Amino acid sequence: MTTDIAAPSAPVRRGSRRRRLSPQRVLLHVVLVLSAITMVMPFVWMILTSVKTPAELAQFPPTFLPETWDWSNYPRALEAAPFLTYFRNSLIIATGHTLITVVFGAMAGYALARVQFRGRELVFLGFVAMLMIPTYTKIVPQFLIVKFMPLFGGNDILGQGGSGWLNTWWALLIPGGLSPFAIFLFRQFYLALPKELEEAARLDGANEFRIWARIYTPLIKPAIATVSLLTFQESWNNFLWPLLVTSRDDLRVIQVGLAVFQQEGNTQWAYLMAGTTLATVPMVLLFLFAQRYFIQGFTHAGIK
Amino acid sequence: MTHTLSNRLQQPDVLETGSAGKSRRPRKKLSHARSQRRAGWLMLTPALIHTGLWIAIPVLATLVLSFTDYSVFQPPSWIGLTNYIEIWNDDVFRKATWNTVVYTFFTVPFSMAIAVVVAVFLNKKMRGRSAYRAAFFLPQVTATVAIAMVWLWMYNPQYGLFNGALAFFGIPGQAWLANPDWALSAVVLVGIWQGIGLKMLIYLAALQNIDENLYEAAAIDGASAVRQFFAITLPMLKPATFFVFVVSIIGAFQVFDLIYVLTNGGPANATTMMTYEVYRSAFQNFRMGMACAQSVVLFAFLLILTVVNRRLTGGDEV
Repeated sequence: MTTDIAAPSAPVRRGSRRRRLSPQRVLLHVVLVLSAITMVMPFVWMILTSVKTPAELAQFPPTFLPETWDWSNYPRALEAAPFLTYFRNSLIIATGHTLITVVFGAMAGYALARVQFRGRELVFLGFVAMLMIPTYTKIVPQFLIVKFMPLFGGNDILGQGGSGWLNTWWALLIPGGLSPFAIFLFRQFYLALPKELEEAARLDGANEFRIWARIYTPLIKPAIATVSLLTFQESWNNFLWPLLVTSRDDLRVIQVGLAVFQQEGNTQWAYLMAGTTLATVPMVLLFLFAQRYFIQGFTHAGIK
Repeated sequence: MTHTLSNRLQQPDVLETGSAGKSRRPRKKLSHARSQRRAGWLMLTPALIHTGLWIAIPVLATLVLSFTDYSVFQPPSWIGLTNYIEIWNDDVFRKATWNTVVYTFFTVPFSMAIAVVVAVFLNKKMRGRSAYRAAFFLPQVTATVAIAMVWLWMYNPQYGLFNGALAFFGIPGQAWLANPDWALSAVVLVGIWQGIGLKMLIYLAALQNIDENLYEAAAIDGASAVRQFFAITLPMLKPATFFVFVVSIIGAFQVFDLIYVLTNGGPANATTMMTYEVYRSAFQNFRMGMACAQSVVLFAFLLILTVVNRRLTGGDEV
């Protein structure tokens, strides 16, 4: 952004300053500011609500700014529901998914991009086909596989008798751990690198894993950042899967925790909004600090 | 490339002593190919197992189970097309299909239209550009559940922001989500708001690829900014539009979190969706076979829409 503002040469600068003063420019900014406020308003309203007192929330019409900024809603919300546990669970799962995806996704992406072997194109097409499968076309059997996972949760070797992976970390961590989308992205990134490096390394006798880990992967660090952020965000925001496979409070992720808290009747809006803020703020911060990688990821995913 | 290859091939020979020299080269090449093949499959193994177990098998299982009656507690029994016949005659699922179509064809075009305009605005060098972009993109990075909670609160009939704002202008409020006439519109509004960011971003990237000279030529010919938008920008964005449309439809058809939090499909099924019916069949009524059949129908809709759209917009030329 700074590069955008600091235009290189003087004449251009003068030109842009003159343009900025034109009524068209002003109008453009007015329109953009108003629509940006509309976009951000729910987030503002969320934070404002989270610091209002119950008495103030019961007023109609509602006040816009809080009369008193009651930050004690946050500790009280944490007492009303174990939001910190939910938060921790979400953090563990999102981190786990990211690690699994980066290691195995990058490995598979590398193999599909740079290693020569017969059947590679077919495997790649297979992954692309899997990429197109909507969530709901696989969710029921996924649940059944978890439920009948042999030798877990009291199940016998045929998967009967117990609860399998239901209500375990396995169910939260493994099925969502690796997406064909990540593999696809990694392949695209590896494909863009020059070929000379691998040839040199191969003939020096380095094995494929070494070439992958030591030579190519360090070159796609920005790509790793992008895939990690997308995976982390996706995992943090996921709702349906953790809802299906967990019912224990200590395994709940924050999105499910919010929904449960809201449905437990008699919603205390200030606490709910405090919890929602907790669920939202990490993603907002992550996005603001790593905007470049997010945008690269989303557009890369889009255009290629 | 071959040049480097042959250079490299010769190097080891220099180092190796006599007999191991030239005669070993073909064999070495062969073993390279073999070790590559082995390494390639080895590196793919975790991904193949994972994708096979959690995607390929489930998709096939969905198809098979859709012809069964299966309650989890008893083994599945084959019932042929009975589930599909029931779906065909099921008013609730019809309603859900209709709602899904309405939701999709209101949210997608509206947020696409907003997104393309915003992208054109933001494609200029200006102060605060990345701040504007972030504002539009924020709903895309935050969880749908969290967002839906906030909208639920804003739609609250007694204390909500909407009714408060309406009261300010002397307009009586509504129980937006509890009124069958309003509930779907209320959900659609959230969908539009949430969907702008990603579409805007893809359009922004596509705009970068449009040749500036086109606009300069048009400006010399005296074309207005609006004229330029319709004569140059929109046609040049056609591939991006096709892509955005397909991706957005696939996304919108799978709306679930929003419904779960805002309305639970109610009131009187006014906002239930195909996905929500799949969820209800499988995890509230424990009719796994029925849920699978419903999700096959959902999948068929997505396939047909993608193909039709490809034909209509000439997407296959891209």
